[in-house]
Amino acid sequence: MDDISFDVYEGEVFGLLGENGAGKSTTLEIIEGLRRATSGNVKVLGLDSRRDQKTIKNKIGVQLQSSAYYNFLKLKEIIQLFCSFYGSDVDSMQLLRMVDLEEKANSYVNSLSGGQKQRFSIVASLVNDPEIVFLDEPTTGLDPLARRNLWHLISEIKQKGKTIVLTTHYMEEAEVLCDRIAIMEKGKILAMDDTHKLIEQSENPFTISFVIEHKVDKKIFAKAVKFGNVENLFGKQNHFVLRIKTKENLNKALPLVQKLNPDSIQVGQATLEDLFIDLTGKTIGE
Amino acid sequence: MFWKLLFADIKMMVRNRQALFWAFMFPLLFSFMFGFFFGKDAKNGTVAIVNHSDSQISTKYVEALEEAEIYKVEKDLDIDEARAQIKSGKIVAAVEIPEGFGDLPEQKAPQVQILPNGQVIMPEKVKIPEQKMKLVIDPGNAQINAGLTGFTDKFLSQLNLKIQGADEVFLFEEEKTNDKKLSYYDFILAGILGLSVMNSSVIGIAVSMSKYREDKILKRITTTPVPTWAFILAEVISRLMLNLAQIAVILAIGIYMFDANIYGNVYVLVGVAMLGALLFQLLGFVIASLSKTTDAAQGMGTAITIPMMFLGGVFFPIDSLPRWLFSIVQYLPLSPLLRILRGVSSEGLSPFSNPQNIYIVSAWIVAALLFSVWKFRLTDE
Repeated sequence: MDDISFDVYEGEVFGLLGENGAGKSTTLEIIEGLRRATSGNVKVLGLDSRRDQKTIKNKIGVQLQSSAYYNFLKLKEIIQLFCSFYGSDVDSMQLLRMVDLEEKANSYVNSLSGGQKQRFSIVASLVNDPEIVFLDEPTTGLDPLARRNLWHLISEIKQKGKTIVLTTHYMEEAEVLCDRIAIMEKGKILAMDDTHKLIEQSENPFTISFVIEHKVDKKIFAKAVKFGNVENLFGKQNHFVLRIKTKENLNKALPLVQKLNPDSIQVGQATLEDLFIDLTGKTIGE
Repeated sequence: MFWKLLFADIKMMVRNRQALFWAFMFPLLFSFMFGFFFGKDAKNGTVAIVNHSDSQISTKYVEALEEAEIYKVEKDLDIDEARAQIKSGKIVAAVEIPEGFGDLPEQKAPQVQILPNGQVIMPEKVKIPEQKMKLVIDPGNAQINAGLTGFTDKFLSQLNLKIQGADEVFLFEEEKTNDKKLSYYDFILAGILGLSVMNSSVIGIAVSMSKYREDKILKRITTTPVPTWAFILAEVISRLMLNLAQIAVILAIGIYMFDANIYGNVYVLVGVAMLGALLFQLLGFVIASLSKTTDAAQGMGTAITIPMMFLGGVFFPIDSLPRWLFSIVQYLPLSPLLRILRGVSSEGLSPFSNPQNIYIVSAWIVAALLFSVWKFRLTDE
């Protein structure tokens, strides 16, 4: 980690976004007290992360990246065991119900699918009714449906008033879930802001995407694309993406594109991915 | 919290059927193997006796061989069947006693002649014709052969002396350094105790801790307020309970099935074995501290326990090793432990009778503990 500093506000979902190895997990582990920072200081809920570690551990919930649970304990028993760690007395069935694992209460972790394991791992971090929940790549390796499922779960947790800090390398996920995002690379924070503001910071925040399958009026086309940068979408000859810097230019370009009588037209925003490419000069790889 | 952890650990141990099976299979295997070879009913094999004679002497020989309880005696074979069974390995040797063996010529009343000149003529000694019994042996079976020929030789020599009315002049007496009846099984029993406790503790702890770390279960635990000591203590105690069960099973089999001779207090014996269990669990933590993966822990555990099994004196006394080697291996953790166990079980000594043994065991415990506290981490950063 290299000289990073950020605040997370109560009740928000804060995302650390970056490639594998960017330092997201390390950052989380320093905050959680699992690692010692070589310099600097961390405050969690106003408490010093080193001195008041025990108090902090009682008030946070942690889901680790690809962490397993005991093999020969049933889900219900693991929840109860973890409850006992905090001296709390939570209804384990109610927690399992929250993540649709009620029927699996008497099963071992081994018998769960990838999505179920992740859901269990998240709910196990809620046994102490924490104020802050840390989720380290909660959806990595899941299929799209299971991922969407987890998004619902995370938003439910947020609605219960918990603060959530999560890491992800999925742009879409960060965009959907996070109120604020810090983009990390090689131990540094490259950009940090409200999610929508970050996207607007992108060099070309607006896009017109259109498909023309007939002959193109080259004059009008040339006029339209002067208001931004045009390119073929991943090499498709008849599918164009026009990226535009300002709202004024968007308003000028749009009628011209419409004059081309496109077979399909979409006006949209830049994505977090566009910003990421602007910032790092590369796409994120899994 | 601690009790919940301990209870959970015990539950997991019992549910992990495969691991539990092997934790008991290993000591059971050794107990039965050595019990059948060297325990109470252990015989060196079957010797067939084909007795064609009905003399007192031949009957006496068969009785003596049976009473000696060195071999099982089989009397229902003929000599050709016996030869075939020696070849096929079913029996180890055969003795054929020919017809008439042991029949002595009738003793005539001694006639002492006194000649008129007063000379006394003693009766001529009756010459008994030489009689031979036959031992059918397999030359590949040196130990059995020496035993059977030795037994037969001794029986016949005494008989010869008696018949000739000779006195035994040169004799020896045995003095035992202790008057306790001990067998090789009694020696090995203490070895099996030490061995089982060592194997299940060293490898058990090393592998389970590495696996917990690899699966990040240990890391997950550190995110909770559970103190590390509580987590480890629960693990250690649950395993000590497993060790206690192992020790009980080994001793029960030894005492009730194979008539092991235990002269010391059984509870002291159990206590010493448990001390060993603690020592070896700590060694397990040392290995878990040093190995990065579960496979490495498994390998390192085996590399430590297998040589120690032989060099620590489980199967044979290490005093018979070359001097220089003995002077090293006597300090291995298993060696003093076995010396104490044997002292207690075979001689009824106190564990403190030779304080050096206790010192070595304690030194290992302290060293392993310090090392584990220094190096063992719940996470792998």
